[in-house]
This record gives sequence, C-alpha cells and structure tokens, in this order.
Amino acid sequence: MDVSDFLASHAAKSEVQVVDKEIPLTTDLAFLSVFDTNTIDEESHKCHLQSLANDGVQTLLVSLFKLPTTQTPDGPMVQLPQPTVLLPRAKPLPKPKPPTKWEQFAKAKGIQNKKRDKKVWDEERQEWVNRWGKDGLNKQKEQQWITEVPMNADIDHDPVKEARDARKARVAKNERQKLQNDAAAAGLSGKAAQEERKKDIDRTLSSSRISTASMGKFDKKLDGEKKIRGVKRKFEPAEGISEKDSSLSILKNMESDSRKTRTGPAPAEESVINTRKAVRFASKGRGGLAMARGGSAGRGGRGRGGKR
Amino acid sequence: MLKTIKPKNARSKRAMDAREPKEIEDARTCIFVKGTHVGERAGPAMKDLMALKRPHAISFSKKNTVRPFEDTSSFEFWAQKNDASLFVVAQSTKKRPDGLTFVRMYDGKVLDLVEVGVDNFVGMAELKTPKCTPGHRPLLHFASPLFDTHPRYIQLRSLLIDFFNGQVTPEVHTKGIEHVISITTAPVPENLNLTAESVSGGKTPLPKVYVRSYTISQQASSKDGAADAAHRPSSSLKPTPSSSSTSNLRPLTLTPMGPSLDLTLRRHTPPDAELLRLALKRPKLAQASVQKGLGKKKKNLEVDEMGDLRGRIHVGKQDLRGLEGKRMKGLRGEQQEAVVMDLDGEGSGGEEEEPVRKKSKKARTE
Repeated sequence: MDVSDFLASHAAKSEVQVVDKEIPLTTDLAFLSVFDTNTIDEESHKCHLQSLANDGVQTLLVSLFKLPTTQTPDGPMVQLPQPTVLLPRAKPLPKPKPPTKWEQFAKAKGIQNKKRDKKVWDEERQEWVNRWGKDGLNKQKEQQWITEVPMNADIDHDPVKEARDARKARVAKNERQKLQNDAAAAGLSGKAAQEERKKDIDRTLSSSRISTASMGKFDKKLDGEKKIRGVKRKFEPAEGISEKDSSLSILKNMESDSRKTRTGPAPAEESVINTRKAVRFASKGRGGLAMARGGSAGRGGRGRGGKR
Repeated sequence: MLKTIKPKNARSKRAMDAREPKEIEDARTCIFVKGTHVGERAGPAMKDLMALKRPHAISFSKKNTVRPFEDTSSFEFWAQKNDASLFVVAQSTKKRPDGLTFVRMYDGKVLDLVEVGVDNFVGMAELKTPKCTPGHRPLLHFASPLFDTHPRYIQLRSLLIDFFNGQVTPEVHTKGIEHVISITTAPVPENLNLTAESVSGGKTPLPKVYVRSYTISQQASSKDGAADAAHRPSSSLKPTPSSSSTSNLRPLTLTPMGPSLDLTLRRHTPPDAELLRLALKRPKLAQASVQKGLGKKKKNLEVDEMGDLRGRIHVGKQDLRGLEGKRMKGLRGEQQEAVVMDLDGEGSGGEEEEPVRKKSKKARTE
C-alpha cells in the first residue's frame, strides 16, 4: 500500500502557508498590529474577511516569533521593539523636577550625594533602629532616663526640653527650605515669594480687622497700625473739580471703552440723508447754530460744530 | 476646573502620584457613556466593546445628555474625575440612529472625535464559541488601502489602535495571545476622492468598516487529537526557538468570537494641530535604548564585557612631514628621497608609533 500521497497531502495541510501578497504586509509589533494595504476585491464578505484576517495573523505571528525572547518561570516572553505608528499621548510628558538649592550647590562643588539608609545599627541595643520616626535615633537624647548636666548650667536647665527644641528647630528649618525650593520650582524667586507672602498676610489682616460687628469701627487701635487700604466709601471733594468736569470725564471714559457703552441701532434717516452735510449746505458752511440765530452771526464760526 | 488638592495622607498621595504623567503611559482608561437614547444595536455593541476593553473600562450606565460635537465640557470633567482619556458614547437619534462616538483626550482636553453608526451587530453572547480572557492584549489586523491614504480612515485607525491596544509594553507573553480584532473596509469605489473635499462629506459615501473578532487556535499537530483543536484558543502558541524557521508555527484557525460590527463613518472632528503636536512629543531615549540602536545612531560606541561604555574617536591623518628621522652620513646626499619615503609612512620606526598610541589611550572614554 502506497501512503506517500496521503502523507504528502497531510503535510501540505499542516504546513504554514507563507502569505504571498501583491503588497507585502507591514507590522507594528509594539502594538501587535498588522497592516494590509492590498486592495479589497468584491467577494462574499464573511469568508473573505476571515481569510484576510487569517493571512494577517499568520504574518504577524511569524514576525512576532522571530523576535528575541526571554525565559521566565511563567513561560517565554517576546521582547517587543519600539512602536513605529505614532499615537498621541494621553498626558503631557513629565516635567523634569527642578534641582533644589542643595542639589545645585552639590553639583557646583562636585559633591556626591550619599543615600542615607533609614535604619542604623544600634550597638547598645544590638538591633537596627530608625534614624528618625518611630523610636527614632534622633529622639534618643529626649528619651534617655539620665542626662549629663554641664557644671555652669542654669537652675532651670532642662536637657530634655533643649534637645527637643533643637530637634524641632531642625525639622522647621527643613520644612522652610522645602517651601523655598517649592516656590523656586513654581517660578518665584526668593524675593518674589517673600512679597507674595507679605501680600497674603496683609490681606488676611485687613479682612480680620473688618470682621467685627462694627466692621472694625470701635476696635482698639494699636500703635503704628496702618489704615486699611482699599476702603470702599469715597467722598468727592467739595471744592476744586466741578460737577460738570467729573460728569464729562465719566462720559469720556464710557466713550473709550466700547464694551461699557450701549450700542443701539443707528438712526434710520442717517443712512438716507447725511445730516451734517445738509446742515453745512443749508447754513452755507456757517453751522447750524448760526443758522438758528438767523444768520446774524459774523464770520467767526467755521460751521464745523453743526447740530446733528 | 477643580482645585489642585494637596494630599493629606500617604494613601491619597500614592493615588495622586499614580495619576501623574508618566514617560511610558499606562493603558488608556475608557468610559462608556450612555446617551439619552441608546438604540437597539449601539447599546449592546458598546457593552461588548466594554467587555473587550476590560479591565480598563468604566461604565456610565445612567442616561446622560451629552452632545459630543457641540459641548465637550462634560468629557473634560469626567476625564479629570476618573483619570480616563477615552470615551465611547452610544446615542441613537432619528437622524443618526445607533451612533457610537469615540472621544480621545489629551491632557484633560478633547483631542479628536469620530462618530460611527452601527449598521449590523452580532454580539458575543450570540456566538457560542470560546471567548478571550479579559485583560489580554488582542492582535490587530487592518486591511484596506484606505487606512494608509484617506484622512478619515487614518484617524479611525489611530483611534482604534489606541482603543484596543494603545499600551506600550516592553514584553508580551506568548501564551496570552488569544484573539485578534480584524478591521476591514468594504471595497473602495473608484470615484472615491482622497482629497480634503471628500473628507468633509463628499457625494460618494465612504466605504463601510467591518470590525470582526476571532479567537486564534492552532491546528493540532499529528500527535495531538484533532478533536480538541477547535475548542482550545491559542494556549499552544509557542515561539520558534530558531529565528529563521516557521516550522513550529502550525496553521491557524480563527473562530469568530464576537462582537462583529458593521460601521459607517459619520461626523468627525480632526485633532487640533497645535494640540496634536504637543500630544505627539516623544521622550528622549534612554541610554539603554540608544545602545540598542534606537533613535539617532551613535557611531563608534560599544559596551565591553564589563559593561563599560567605550568610544573610539578618529584622530585625523597625521602630518609626518616635519618628522626628523635618523640622519646617517651615507644618506645625506639623498635627503629628498628620504622625505618622500616618510610620507609613505613605511620608513617610520618606533618613534613615530609612540604619539599615536598615546592619543588613542586618551580617546578611550569610560
């Protein structure tokens, strides 16, 4: 019995067909994608789509399995290359953290920063203890049961309080430096940050001064206390500027800002007759006022101030 | 706009840090929003898309009055609240029945929108076939010349890659490759214009887009039983040990898994050019990836066995004309010839070799 035909047909069936297309398929392995740019011909859709997909997957898997792999306990992992298709990011690139003042100094001086471990070995207790934090080594002086007192110490010398104050001062200093660094990172230099803080304090102070029932009217004034700035009530001076001038200045301001003035529709007749021109024509160039007076005015008026 | 909050405890700080921009981004979280009327096909389609997108999916199951092409403020708010950067909105109206709108965000702002109409839909539940495991990355297959040429389809392709597979990972587990999503268009009509005119609603209708999903399984080899081949999605996919041959990769069979969608392109908003430019910014490549040959190629750099970076620099051609060789009495008359010989560089002895070696030592950088 000759089985070679049968075997050959079986082998052909179980062999991977190399996908051969007019335009070779391209892949982007980082996104596990394959792009087939060959034209799609009209065929029955369901079968056609699946065979198209089959070709694509075949190509993709062949190129995927050609990539280098790493063996892990869970199985082989294929190392993917960088993507070629550009996709927009969801968030902007992270901004590099600006160096702190210490980092700048260390860089300028060439100081290598040594990372300090959080734990230190305590010889006495024979164990690792925290450098700071819970049962921290920096609190040792406050917590030890006996402390040496210097000979020239005051009567009210409290070594525990002294040690605690010193520690608290260090913490406060660190916090202050951190704030300064944050301000510098936010774009405020030292001077500007100070100004900002000053303004903030002033604002808080002034708002607290008018926060009493009498709006601060009957409060005790302290020595050197400044008057609150930005008082809302304002009285016009009785002398000097006349009412007319002030009203005119308001009008002038209104004219300057088009958003404040009310813009109504233009008068209808203006489009038909140029009033100014008509007046000039009727008064023979002497102006509307002169015409109203009955032409008795002399040659003084130039006729520019015609009534509209 | 919400105020930036200073974290009060370590847990909230960790949560906030996780939302900070990263150089290599996580997968985009997608929010699936129901509109006022969802429609018979768009609703289930959205549900199945969500099943594919899980676990990076959030469902907004209540009705929302959103009009993505008119007002995008709700998306900006939701994106910020949920740390999501993709939206799928299902909305069915009389004018545009069964619409799905894909919204992509960048930096809390809407980057681009694509609306598609679901003309035909077969869900996952209707096909009684093996399904993929949630959270596994699909393979993507795009088949149409339009995906490379037509701006509408280029945008759709970019959006769909982002939707299904936008995460960049250094490695992928071969056993995890279970399913493929195939996106094809209908045959391209000959009068389809590829210019901008047709992009904004020309007379020829744009060809339909067919989204199909299949599970991948390999046909059993002669040793395995042929019966179990069909019902075993992909777990036998193995990479070939040798890089050249494909002998280990057995023929594949694809089983329709669902969902399958027939989509028509409707409204769209292309990305704002300035926003897109910002969104396409790439990080500077790390040293390791430069070594691998990515990015701008650096010549004459190599890492030796100790892991030190070594460079070679070219010191230029040396000027040997001023070099004084040994003067011998017998050669004094033929000085001219001697110079010529030196220029050839053959007659130089040990003295000449010395400066070259010194320079090359300096050139080595650690």
